[in-house]
Amino acid sequence: MSQLGFPLLSIIVWLPALGALLLLLVPRTNDELSRRASLGVSTLTFAISCALPALFNPALPEAAAPAMQFVDQIDWIPSWGISYNVGLDGVSLWLVLLTTFITPITVLSTWDSVHKQVRAFQILMLLLETAMIGVFVAQDLFLFYIFWEFTLIPMAFMIGIWGSENRIYAAVKFFLYTFAGSVLMLVAIIALYILHRDAIAATTPGYVGTFDFGVIAEHLRSGSFVLEAGLAQALFGAFFLAFAIKTPMWPFHTWLPDAHVQAPTAGSVILAGVLLKLGTYGMIRFNLTLFPDASLWAAPAIGILAVIGIIYGAMTAYAQTDMKKLVAYSSVSHMGFVVLGIFALNQIGVSGALIQMINHGLSTGALFLLVGVIYERRHTREIGEFGGLWKVMPIYGGVTLLVVLSSAGLPGLNGFIGEFAIMQGAFMAYETGGARILGWPFVAFAVLGVILAAVYLLRMYGGAFMGDVGNPENAQLSDLSRREIVVLGLLCVPIIAIGLFPNLLFAPMETSVADVLHTFTGVVAGR
Amino acid sequence: MFNFIWLIPLLPLVGFALNVFVIRREREAGYVATGAVALSFLVALATFIQFAFSPPAEAKPPRVDLVLWNWISVGEFNVPFGLLFDPLSGVMVLLVTGVGALIHLYSIGYMHGDSRVVRYFAYLNLFVAMMLFLVMSDNMLLLFLGWEGVGLCSFLLIGHWFERRTATSAAAKAFVVNRIGDAAFLVAMMAIFAHFGTLSFYDIELADGAVIEGFLERADEISGLIFSIPGQNFLVSTGIAFLLLIGVTGKSAQLPLFVWLPDAMAGPTPVSALIHAATMVTAGVYLMARTHPIFELSAATQGWVTWIGALTALIAATAAVAQWDIKRVLAYSTVSQLGFMVAAAGMGAYVAAIFHLLTHGVFKALLFLGSGSVIHGTHDTQDMRKMGGLREHMPTTFITYLVGAGALAGIFPLAGFWSKDEIIAHAWSGQNFSIFLLLFVSSLLTAFYMGRQIALTFFGQQRDHSYHAHESGQVMTMPLMILAVGAVLAGAMNLPMLHWLSTWLEPTLHEHAAEFGVTQLILAVVTTLLAAGSGYLGWRYYVANSAKIKPGAKDPLYRYSGDIWEALEEAWYIDRAYEKLTVVPGFRALARFMAGVFDPQGIDGLVRGVGYAFSQAASALRVFQSGFVRTYALLFLAGVVMVVGYLLII
Repeated sequence: MSQLGFPLLSIIVWLPALGALLLLLVPRTNDELSRRASLGVSTLTFAISCALPALFNPALPEAAAPAMQFVDQIDWIPSWGISYNVGLDGVSLWLVLLTTFITPITVLSTWDSVHKQVRAFQILMLLLETAMIGVFVAQDLFLFYIFWEFTLIPMAFMIGIWGSENRIYAAVKFFLYTFAGSVLMLVAIIALYILHRDAIAATTPGYVGTFDFGVIAEHLRSGSFVLEAGLAQALFGAFFLAFAIKTPMWPFHTWLPDAHVQAPTAGSVILAGVLLKLGTYGMIRFNLTLFPDASLWAAPAIGILAVIGIIYGAMTAYAQTDMKKLVAYSSVSHMGFVVLGIFALNQIGVSGALIQMINHGLSTGALFLLVGVIYERRHTREIGEFGGLWKVMPIYGGVTLLVVLSSAGLPGLNGFIGEFAIMQGAFMAYETGGARILGWPFVAFAVLGVILAAVYLLRMYGGAFMGDVGNPENAQLSDLSRREIVVLGLLCVPIIAIGLFPNLLFAPMETSVADVLHTFTGVVAGR
Repeated sequence: MFNFIWLIPLLPLVGFALNVFVIRREREAGYVATGAVALSFLVALATFIQFAFSPPAEAKPPRVDLVLWNWISVGEFNVPFGLLFDPLSGVMVLLVTGVGALIHLYSIGYMHGDSRVVRYFAYLNLFVAMMLFLVMSDNMLLLFLGWEGVGLCSFLLIGHWFERRTATSAAAKAFVVNRIGDAAFLVAMMAIFAHFGTLSFYDIELADGAVIEGFLERADEISGLIFSIPGQNFLVSTGIAFLLLIGVTGKSAQLPLFVWLPDAMAGPTPVSALIHAATMVTAGVYLMARTHPIFELSAATQGWVTWIGALTALIAATAAVAQWDIKRVLAYSTVSQLGFMVAAAGMGAYVAAIFHLLTHGVFKALLFLGSGSVIHGTHDTQDMRKMGGLREHMPTTFITYLVGAGALAGIFPLAGFWSKDEIIAHAWSGQNFSIFLLLFVSSLLTAFYMGRQIALTFFGQQRDHSYHAHESGQVMTMPLMILAVGAVLAGAMNLPMLHWLSTWLEPTLHEHAAEFGVTQLILAVVTTLLAAGSGYLGWRYYVANSAKIKPGAKDPLYRYSGDIWEALEEAWYIDRAYEKLTVVPGFRALARFMAGVFDPQGIDGLVRGVGYAFSQAASALRVFQSGFVRTYALLFLAGVVMVVGYLLII
């Protein structure tokens, strides 16, 4: 049981799933009721999850165990050391909140964008929420893997059933690609379990092993469980590949544009808003914590891939004519920043990466919603079809501008904080001896992504929103409805708030990030 | 007052919020916006006066530092959201709010009847707030917030009439070109933090007694440090200063990034006056003055700064000579004058740079507003070939414009004479003859193109009778008159014998007033006489040839210069070169190739290839799934044999 005496975290995890069960009681034809029920459940989940940052103790002393808070643990398959074990620390805190925040917003957007089999869609949405929160809080590798795989299924269905023309191809590609990555991770998890069990059993006969991630990490740190360097690198690679595909990192990104273009708006929002963060979360939680030496070894190579992704994603985004595809490729660029920050392996870089995950979830989620708004009205997303939208739909134009600027990293808005912290971290990523992990050359290239972000986003904004209303079909478009204003307005609040008061987010994550990084004591900031 | 300096940027910010969310009517928008900036000016003035007569005693040298909240704090990375009021900030704040308020007032008349006027005032307020953050920040990061914030407002205001394609593309161009400079600025900040562990300019004592260290007073710590790229070693200070310089060339429209400023004239004219003449574009000069300890560590960068400034001054001045658009003359003139300031900063004459920044802010705002009055009075005519003889229809505009032009040309005793002369005197006494020559020629050209412009606009006969020219209303002429008085008197703030500004800025810029001897006096007399002569020449020539000037015709001087004139008109084809030759088309082609071929065929091709290989292998294996029990039995038997065999061998 957690420090509260009642299973707060488990309630947050399972409430949406329970809601999905309840939705089965709603008549299949009653679309309005199933939407409302879904909105109610996800809003309730968000409301409860707001207790997490309020009750979270940010100043947990580093030495005091456990670093995890709100822990609920029940034995599940004791003979293999598998337990239901959830907990929360500063790394996962805001990601859980991002999930519970984005989900009701997405549900609210389905009023305008999902018109067939509404009940089924809402059920999938709620199941997906449970799975996503589960990934962020699972402390048992086995449980983590189950949640991880379970996020795939609802998403694949969302793309495959509610998507556009080429949806089956995109859904299958999405499923197979990410699944192939995770199978390797499963192998690595089992290998880790066996290696750990055998190592401990050598001194403690009869040890059945454990999938408890915290225990394995603790044994690695204390030295009672030692991984040979080559083996550690192989396991690191297996975990990393799964996460890199999910993120997606260049060159594993090609499923993303297909998935986004075919997915319904709500699916894209969840995919960009939360699902991509599963990958980068996994890198911090597993790669850095379990395999510090291998992380250090691989950091420069991964840094290069990340920087390639930043520039490549941005350039490819520039050449798109479909707004949704443009936003999809911009995700490749932005997630490249996140990975770069993680493998700076210092406090500021990893903190920056974490806050950038939140930022990307908010602004890219909002961008997909915005593209959805115009798609609902005109059934096209080609930039060339538009022009002068700002004149016809002034509120829509204004909100889009704000979100575009956030995505382009304008200081004062959220995106800047993350990008700056990440690049500052990469700039100062040196080992104690002065050996370079990343250093300024990485930043010199990454910063091109900042320029290019302005280029491709302004190309979209200038093309579709500015200029004159050339196309008569656009002359009579209606501005944002009240519901759309609520949906987008809710996203704009944190976009501004994080830009001005990022410490609200940084402060609770400080100790936990330091905890993840404390095996990298050799890594220094500055020189 | 010192505890209320946060009001200075907050008031325009409130004006912005009101105009975005509450106000819907033109009248209220103009009053609220103007009132907010005027109030902000009053607060700034009160603070300034208090600072002058009873400076805060606790800080040496005196400065006010107000940390509003802890902005970013990650590990050892600490940046407060802190405001600074010191002599340098003080004069900048007065310029921004003072000239800003007048331009807001003028806008009420100029923008009357515009379809998006409320939004216009909202952006204008936001701009002033951002500019105030820029000059009042106590650290690099908050300065950068203002720096990009003013860039955003510039984008919004250039694109105010976004129905016009030229406005949209000019706005995007301004933002993107500035972004190139901003990216360099970002890296410079990271380098500063990596070496000093702080981004604050000066030591700040927080309320709880903790001290955030500043880097400017410790700049010497990086002197002699080097970093290397293969085959080459650089001073760290050179790296940082050079990156900042790239930022400056973007924001202050210097070579090679000046190309956005002439296009920016697509925005409403008061915007050109406020943003693209008086305040935003001078931010680069302010930045160099503020961070001068870093620049002074790198002689190499200072050389670059000086040359960039001087060359920009000359190239832009030559371009200004050949323009027909009344605003483009002023735009190139601004680029050229910014070149003077940058060159001054490069020579270490920071006081002269700031002095020229301040006087230029006044008289160039006056000229732009005057040109706006002309455009307004001639019903949106901007081509000077269609003007002529306007002095009779617009007497107030004419007189004030004359004062502004005289100030810009450096005619004694107007403001520009004192400040520009100080820069030229520095180039002379610095023994740098080529720089001196570049600046000297530029200043003669300045007088010439202003003489030309006055002749074309206000003298001769009206060449196009399709409009009825009239003088603008009082709400527009009043700011012109106030600014004209300023353009006459502003030079007084740093008269050669009194050095008020030098003394005032001494605590921040650590620069003693230059001596004023006989050489300087002779130089000043010669410069102003030659400038007056050059101006007269320009005026005389175009008045005499006014009969040859027709809409669409070539310049009378074209006869002598030939096609060089076209090169001047196109500012030496620098912009065209970016557009047509290298950067832009190359980038576009590469991006198209990546998006259209490499990504779907190359990378995704590999992915699909793997998938295809699997499905082929699977169909190959399918022959074993024949459905015949005997085949399965055979395979089963083979399997058993293998397993048993394996076990036996072990």
